[in-house]
Amino acid sequence: MAHATTGRRPNYLGIFLLLAGFTLVETMVSYVQQEAIKIPVLIVLSLVKAILVLLYFMHLKFDSRIFTYLFVAGIVLSIPLILIMMIVMPIVASY
Amino acid sequence: MSESSKFMPVPQSQNTKLGMWVFLGGEVVFFTSLILIFALTRLVNSNYDAEFRSLLSIPVIAINTFVLVASSYFVVRGLEAIELGNQEGMRNNLIVVILLAVLFLAGQAFEWISLFRDGLTFSSTFGMPFFTVTGIHGTHVFIGVLWVFYLLAGHRRRPYTKESHLGIENFGLYWHFVDIVWIVLFTLIYLI
Repeated sequence: MAHATTGRRPNYLGIFLLLAGFTLVETMVSYVQQEAIKIPVLIVLSLVKAILVLLYFMHLKFDSRIFTYLFVAGIVLSIPLILIMMIVMPIVASY
Repeated sequence: MSESSKFMPVPQSQNTKLGMWVFLGGEVVFFTSLILIFALTRLVNSNYDAEFRSLLSIPVIAINTFVLVASSYFVVRGLEAIELGNQEGMRNNLIVVILLAVLFLAGQAFEWISLFRDGLTFSSTFGMPFFTVTGIHGTHVFIGVLWVFYLLAGHRRRPYTKESHLGIENFGLYWHFVDIVWIVLFTLIYLI
């Protein structure tokens, strides 16, 4: 158990408030017209939120790294899928 | 946790947790393929904003996103409660999770009905990937609700304790993953 080993507990309320705050900011940013600003900001905020959930709510920051590797393996295995789809989809769409 | 203990083999008592992480790794690939279908459909069709995005209600979905994030918070509160030996606290937090999950599903149903009324169909260019990806995510939320009922029923027969609560922790991992998927979907489908 993460906490049993460390004796520390994440500030769950603080993490939740951050996630809620980021969601509010994202919603406001989505109304910005300049795509060059909007898209990178939204992607970064979304990644930060996902990482916060992984590290603190799912305890990857405190648990065995084996769990992190298993999750990252899923992401790595997705990369060929992304590349294949990016090649195939425009070809299929052109028919 | 010390630097060396981070690389320790997972204890046998946590085999199901290891299994849950293997499952979640597979779910990453599964959801990536679904998200890709949506993203690429959008990329190869120039009329995305006119035909689809204009139909979406971002404030409603932002509230729904907040509801799902809040449910994740109550899951960790429930886990924290049982880690401290507070069985009542765990039970109450899990009941709040059920209520928030049902609220999320109701919000999604409301959105789908609005989209149907606006003419979006399952077979339309953007309807197919949208209903597929949000529907499969919603199914995961629904399975999560059933899982909480199962946990609460199991808790009545054989209560979870401070020492033995891996079932709650495994459910938490699943639920937070479902939350992460929604965080990504919220950005890719609704905001960008």
